[in-house]
Amino acid sequence: MEIYFLALGMLFAGALVSAAVKEQWKFKICSVFSLIASAMLFIPAAAVLLTGGTLKQTVYMSPILGNVEFVIDPLSAFFVMVISVMSLLGTIYANGYMKPYLNKGMNVSSHCFFLMMLITSMILVVTVQNALFFLIVWELMSLSSFFLVIFEGEKKEVISAGIKYLVYMHLSVIFIIAAFVLLNIQSNSLSFADFAAVLQNNANLANIVFLLAFTGFGIKAGFVPFHNWLPDAHPAAPSHVSGIMSGVMIKTGIYGILRVLLFVGTPSKLVSYTVLIISVISALYGVLYAITQHDIKRLLAYHSIENIGIIGIGIGAGMLGLAYSNPVVAALGFAGGILHILNHSIFKELLFFAAGSVYLKTHTRNIEKLGGLIKNMPYTGLMFIIGSVAICGLPPFNGFISEFLIYAGMLQGVPASEINLFITLIFAIAGLAMVGTMAILCFTKASGITFLGNPRSENAMNVQGDVSRVMIIPMGILAFLTFFIGMYPQYFIGAVLVPVFMFIKNEAVMPVFNSVMELVSVLSWYFFIFLIMVLVLFALRAVLNRKTQIHNTWGCGYDRANNHMQYTASSYADLFISTLKPLFKRVTHIKKPKELFPKEAYYELEIEDIEEAYIVKPLVMWDEKLLAKFERIQSGNIQQYILFGLIFLILAIVGMIYFGG
Amino acid sequence: MISLLINILILLFVPFLMIGVIKKTKAFWAGRKGVSIMQPLWDFLRLMKKDSVISETTSWVFKFAPVAGFASILFAALFVPLVAGKPIFNIPFAFVVFSYILGFGKFFSLIAALDTGSSFEGMGASREACFSTIVEPAFFIGMASIAALSQNYTFESLRLILKNAGTYGYLIIALLAVTLFIMLLIECCRVPVDDPTTHLELTMIHEVMILDNSGADLGLITWGSAIKMFLFEALIANLILPVSLHGWMALAAFLAVVFILAVIVGTVESSMARFRMTHVFEFIFIMSITALIILALVTYRMYGG
Repeated sequence: MEIYFLALGMLFAGALVSAAVKEQWKFKICSVFSLIASAMLFIPAAAVLLTGGTLKQTVYMSPILGNVEFVIDPLSAFFVMVISVMSLLGTIYANGYMKPYLNKGMNVSSHCFFLMMLITSMILVVTVQNALFFLIVWELMSLSSFFLVIFEGEKKEVISAGIKYLVYMHLSVIFIIAAFVLLNIQSNSLSFADFAAVLQNNANLANIVFLLAFTGFGIKAGFVPFHNWLPDAHPAAPSHVSGIMSGVMIKTGIYGILRVLLFVGTPSKLVSYTVLIISVISALYGVLYAITQHDIKRLLAYHSIENIGIIGIGIGAGMLGLAYSNPVVAALGFAGGILHILNHSIFKELLFFAAGSVYLKTHTRNIEKLGGLIKNMPYTGLMFIIGSVAICGLPPFNGFISEFLIYAGMLQGVPASEINLFITLIFAIAGLAMVGTMAILCFTKASGITFLGNPRSENAMNVQGDVSRVMIIPMGILAFLTFFIGMYPQYFIGAVLVPVFMFIKNEAVMPVFNSVMELVSVLSWYFFIFLIMVLVLFALRAVLNRKTQIHNTWGCGYDRANNHMQYTASSYADLFISTLKPLFKRVTHIKKPKELFPKEAYYELEIEDIEEAYIVKPLVMWDEKLLAKFERIQSGNIQQYILFGLIFLILAIVGMIYFGG
Repeated sequence: MISLLINILILLFVPFLMIGVIKKTKAFWAGRKGVSIMQPLWDFLRLMKKDSVISETTSWVFKFAPVAGFASILFAALFVPLVAGKPIFNIPFAFVVFSYILGFGKFFSLIAALDTGSSFEGMGASREACFSTIVEPAFFIGMASIAALSQNYTFESLRLILKNAGTYGYLIIALLAVTLFIMLLIECCRVPVDDPTTHLELTMIHEVMILDNSGADLGLITWGSAIKMFLFEALIANLILPVSLHGWMALAAFLAVVFILAVIVGTVESSMARFRMTHVFEFIFIMSITALIILALVTYRMYGG
């Protein structure tokens, strides 16, 4: 446990040192310190995951906080592992990505400082087991990520995205505080260990607390309808930050949900259905809007919503398994969900890094202006395609394994005792299948339009060479991991199993689980056969195709096709979008051609999030109208303000005497 | 061992004959004599010998896609029951693996279409991707329902319906056969969804995606799509054939079903024109509806009455 505190100290020292050194050294310092810290954190986390034990240390902090317990149990260990590795890769990637921003008078010092603080606070969030201290580090995490998002704060859209993010995070914290306060009142304690005891015999309170926590942590994780900050914040942030935020930070929301689930023990059927249904909706909604987006990072942000949905489907299936005391479903559901946390953090970070490399080279995120990049950026292109295949859940990559476990869990639960469980699970299976195929549509669009075909603009045409090696290597590691987990899932499922058994205290599940493990290892052999088949066929094809001629693309006899005649991202998605018209708000900007010799004309289609258009915006408008009525008391007169303060104090004291008894 | 060899031989060569039967049927309805049933095989061999022309726009993706597509179809075939009802890789949840493996090949053929930078090929890719978003959920609902019915998650559940569902079984089998047949028409791009022999690029789906492929690449693609169609026919055959058949009888019955289905596909193609693109969705939704009816029947069988 000492090594854990030492690692935290290391991260904090990294934050301070990086603030002090010259600009070109800052990110190197960050990487070195986070490398050391990750290596140190690896030891206790691996020990916990291998032995299944728990490391604990109680520290007396202050009279208010009391004793703060730092605990690394299997669930925490899993998250510590994911956070430290992914953040390390993020800081390494930042070395290359931030190079053009150095020595330009931008505030790189604070960026580095908050980057390290974000990593520190994320590690703390998943290991602290004291409600008040948890809220403090949670807030630290939200604030440091806010400062990272607004790095390019001189741009208007960046600052407004940042503020939106801040508002959402504070909505989230309100719900979390409410849940913790309820628990605190009941247990008279701030320790997580005491919370569990309170909820064991109080089913109603457990429901309320869980739903409050699910809302609060769900805003962080990005479940629909609380997802709205994600598609704004991720494009605004620098790419390594988007990678870390989408890859690991939103997973702390999932961690919170799982932690509260541990307090609850056996969830009620009501909340289990709620989680599953919201997750299916999130997954479908996320991928649906991802298809409509042409800003590559916005598209990836919507995909985070989808993947959070998939994780939620796993957890929801697991909760239903617990609620209906079907341990097999519970085990497979949780295993799939928790493994998908790891998988998603890997391929989402990979995709954000690749997208960042594209942005660095072309200065645009609009995929309609890209194309043909694979010729000048072969490695980035390969990485993006690998990430795309993995995120679609296609074998032999890692996404398939976790989705397969979730399918297996739900199918095992299907011959259920109750009709509503049966129907719900079948529709969840169908939903997951639909999400998979829509992801294929979305990522063939993203990778095909961005990297393949002909360049669609000057920006894409003038790319010279791939990004530097310091950016390729983290991507390469991530790409290798997606493949490795896909080929050898046994070992990773084994590691996931330890946290899963915190939720299921039933050893009877072991034989079934072993059979699934066996199935998965058989599958990994089959995938080897598949790989050999692909390689042999590829070699065979090269032999057969020795004589090839190069000619331009077939254009139905027309020989002078140019890059503007290519199929575009909008047209690629249009068939699908026009089929599902009612689900989108289409905003069109048209300038019709006028006069005899029209000079300027354009047509632009923008797809707005219906949740934002019909719920958030009216709410904000209504709020503004309400608050405008209070303008009158804002006179700018300080004496008057002091008077207001005095009146408030008197009211507060009167209230205390009256109600406090 | 012998049955394994026979299965592999059937898997590799019967698809050509099946395509030949479809062509022959169409020729019959058109009043022509038609080409030999073996012609698709000769066409394939000729393509393999040819040199190829490759677009200057393309990258490695374009070269990899035919291989990925063919390998994924061949690999998916190992999970599908052929004669005698047992697939080579008999594992639970095989239909999930089957769909996702096919998805791997589909992913690469879709981006290969975008790789050429053509004004047409993206169109076919867009259509293919779009249709499968509706096809897959229906397939999963159907398969999950019958898996629940027999509590068997392998493809053997196709053969256990009658045993577990009693008289409803016949209805479920009929509906599932319709579902799978529509899926065959969509996935293998036959009339009325797509016309494989059309000459207008604007109306194509699958054919337009492979406009730029030639030589051995095109050969692999045609062989792959024939095998893919054969796989769906094999699923239908396993669904409707009696479980009690064994040995050579099973083989004969299996081949008979495959060729009869080929004749049906040919007859459908001769008797109707392809739908307008907007009507294709309505056609695909039939599949969703039959899948939902299967779900309703299974639910009634398990919980009602």
